[in-house]
Amino acid sequence: MIEFINVSYIHPTGVKALDDVTIQFRQGEVVAIVGANGAGKTTLVKHMNGLLKPTKGTVKVFGYDTTQQTVASLSRRVGIVFQNADHQLFSDTVEHEVEFGLRNFGFSEDVVKQRVEWALTFFGLKEYANTSPMMLSGGEKKRLCLAAVLAWDPDVLVLDEPTVGQDLLHKEKLEQIIRLLLTQGKTVILVSHDIEFLWPMQPRTVVMNRGKIVADGPASEVFTDDSILSSSRLIKPQLVELSQRLKLDSREVFDNIFTAKRWILSRVRCS
Amino acid sequence: MYWLANAFIFRRRYSPIHVLDPRIKLLLSIELFTLSLISSTVIHIGITLAVIFAVAALAKILERMYRTLLFSAAFSILIFVINFLVGYSIITSFVLAVRFVAIVGSTSLFFLTTSPDELEYVMKWFRLPQDVVFAFVTAVRFVPVLMLDAIQIMDAQKSRGLELEKGNFVNRIKKLAPILIPLVVTAVIRSSELAEAMEARAYGAVKKPTSLYTLTLKRRDKVVGILSVAFFAALLIYFFTG
Repeated sequence: MIEFINVSYIHPTGVKALDDVTIQFRQGEVVAIVGANGAGKTTLVKHMNGLLKPTKGTVKVFGYDTTQQTVASLSRRVGIVFQNADHQLFSDTVEHEVEFGLRNFGFSEDVVKQRVEWALTFFGLKEYANTSPMMLSGGEKKRLCLAAVLAWDPDVLVLDEPTVGQDLLHKEKLEQIIRLLLTQGKTVILVSHDIEFLWPMQPRTVVMNRGKIVADGPASEVFTDDSILSSSRLIKPQLVELSQRLKLDSREVFDNIFTAKRWILSRVRCS
Repeated sequence: MYWLANAFIFRRRYSPIHVLDPRIKLLLSIELFTLSLISSTVIHIGITLAVIFAVAALAKILERMYRTLLFSAAFSILIFVINFLVGYSIITSFVLAVRFVAIVGSTSLFFLTTSPDELEYVMKWFRLPQDVVFAFVTAVRFVPVLMLDAIQIMDAQKSRGLELEKGNFVNRIKKLAPILIPLVVTAVIRSSELAEAMEARAYGAVKKPTSLYTLTLKRRDKVVGILSVAFFAALLIYFFTG
């Protein structure tokens, strides 16, 4: 669906941001892209809707070479929500903000109305429909950006640092939304430093370091590999740490807090 | 866009010009600026440009200066057309247009080789008020930051289907709103955050804050300063008598 074939990208400043990257993203999967700052994560996702074109190699999105497509045509299928909400919001009302993308993509008036209604209700922003986006809190702005992209129903959703500025409740809500999107066959790509948020979803995990992909596999494998974590300056999730301190078999690593709770309670009862 | 933003960002380099005292760099820039202003023939402007490019080559900033000059070339074409239309000869119009490029080149020489910190020391050396110095230096320091913000905003809006290149002139102007509004909002948020951070670190608590660094002229600065003044004087005499 999204395919990177030997892609290298040299930044105009001369820095090699991607170095011979070959990777595929398939339909219906949740993928976490992790790595230290400057590892090339954002550069990688900016290739997915043609914002950046590869210096070498090919990026194919739904079979189309991104160098032959406009950003708008690719964005219709690959929606990217960027990290800084203040870089996106400009309309006079929250409602108009959500309408912006829909109108750019040429949706009819009644579809625009339906989608706006759905997106605002879904993200709990209905009561702010006529409020200026600038008056919203940081977390609400972030949700508005998400609503504005999901409104046009892209096949792939890319979220760049989605949990920054979000409280625990909204992180959980975001996780539910991601799980819901997966049931609809969407692909969700998460660029995040928030390992604790990623771990319960057990995503396919891609680790980047200095423009290269240094690991690509299930979260249970990547986050339990100390050599990968230390070389990429990552910290393992607390549940993995707990499992390892309890000297559990790698197959028994707690994937969420409930499995950990069940395991501990069963041991307490046994003793 | 990255290409243009890069032209405005100061990059620390080791070159015979970068290591000079900022006051000497300012002196060089003022001399070249003056030469650009008084150049009235093709030969004069040719010599001035040659000196500017020679200094830029010595400072290893030729490529970066080329970007700035290319940007100013658009305005110089306008200057050429206007002067020609109001009755000046082709040669005079050409000299006036190239003079603009030389003026931009001479000033960018100073800004491309002088860090915002050095700029601050020079302004303080001129005994300008602390608040004025701070405001000016902060503005200079934030130009590249704003450029990078603009790039990120454009990326975000393009990802929402905004096509800046499509449509007639009026439509294209209208399409700038989704770029300019977040840019202004971000700048205002950043400036208020900066003000709070500065106050939290006791900015303005004393009238004359001490400085860790003081400007001192080294031997090489004095030599370059004297040589440049002599060269400048010689060119001035040639321009007025030759």
